[in-house]
Amino acid sequence: MKLNERSVAHYATCNSPPDKTGFLFKKGERNTAYHRRWFILKGNMLFYFEERESREPIGVIVLEGCTVELCESESEEFAFAVKFDCAKAKVYKMAAENQAAMESWVKALSRASFDYMRLVVKELERQLEEVQEEARSSQAKSKPKKHQLQPQGAASFQPATISLQNATITGPLQEGVSSRENGVSWSKPLSVPNGVSDTQEDCSERGDGVRPPPVPPRRKTNGGSLESPVSPGTGCFSKLHDWYGKEVAELRIEWLQSQ
Amino acid sequence: MRFNEKELVFLSRQPPERAAELGMRGPKKGDVVKRRVVKLIVNFLFYFRTDEDEPIGALLLEQCRVEREDDQVFSIVFLDEAERKYLFECDSQEQCVEWIDAIVKASYEFMRKNLIYYRTEIHRLTGTDPLEQYGISDETRFQVFLVLQSASIHHCHLLCFL
Repeated sequence: MKLNERSVAHYATCNSPPDKTGFLFKKGERNTAYHRRWFILKGNMLFYFEERESREPIGVIVLEGCTVELCESESEEFAFAVKFDCAKAKVYKMAAENQAAMESWVKALSRASFDYMRLVVKELERQLEEVQEEARSSQAKSKPKKHQLQPQGAASFQPATISLQNATITGPLQEGVSSRENGVSWSKPLSVPNGVSDTQEDCSERGDGVRPPPVPPRRKTNGGSLESPVSPGTGCFSKLHDWYGKEVAELRIEWLQSQ
Repeated sequence: MRFNEKELVFLSRQPPERAAELGMRGPKKGDVVKRRVVKLIVNFLFYFRTDEDEPIGALLLEQCRVEREDDQVFSIVFLDEAERKYLFECDSQEQCVEWIDAIVKASYEFMRKNLIYYRTEIHRLTGTDPLEQYGISDETRFQVFLVLQSASIHHCHLLCFL
């Protein structure tokens, strides 16, 4: 079967940031020796190179539909395997250099599928709609007394470490959207820009329920109800566009064309 | 470059996002339009001879550009070799538009951008990182670092940094 190999190889080394890189030992395809290879994970593609400086990958493992398991190896500690459901599928055995690296790779690889990403995106899309809906209805109600900020389906909002402080939901999203000065960093709790509002929500919702991550979906076999991939409503897209800013979009196009 | 062909063929048998018989022309000079069954599955476009189960080939839809060539025709080019165009002839304008839309949205990178947008918006509106609850907020693939304005923006790490 043909594949647009040159472009696939280019994807490995192009400027888009990889999801994970590092050295792993990979069991040879033909012989049983483990070879140290440089790995680059991007999206659902796991590329491996002879050396870190190599310009072309030796090969790629398409990870869609795979499962990742820890495995026992006679010769290697910290070994794990990438397996597929299909008949006569290859098993890719790899080993990391230490426990932490192994766990990190297993985690990353098991969540590398397009399907999983789609799941997470859909979930967030749904949550955003809920939050926006809540914002619209609480704007309308405008309760004077304190109350807990509970979006619909509140069970799912159980921040492990971040508490909601003075979280004021501003109705029109454009407010926050226009300011590109908002540097968003995920290393500390974000102080939400305070919109002008009568209701001061002082919520210290502290839940310690950390839900397990969505299970990477198994291959669909039930007549595939695959809806179209993420297509947020037009409203979201226009905000997306605004948010990125025209300048950013133009620069991006420039950059893409220069590749 | 080696790739796990068997697994890719297996993938081509999964329920597609979209499938149709289209006229397809390869990028080489002298390639002619041929009827092919084209299937979009995750970020791959598989193409088959009309009466066969095994795909002739697959195109990974990352780092590519989809363009309307004509009323009913769209093209895919890969950014590393933009002069080579894959052409697809549809049966109607509507079908053409739908395919273009579907292919644009079929990339991992596209989904990543959406995810970052939603994550940031939800965090902005609620003060909560929606990925915390799943314990995946630290994953590289979901990271957001918005470069403040002016930084020399050559590589598009504006929205997505390691």
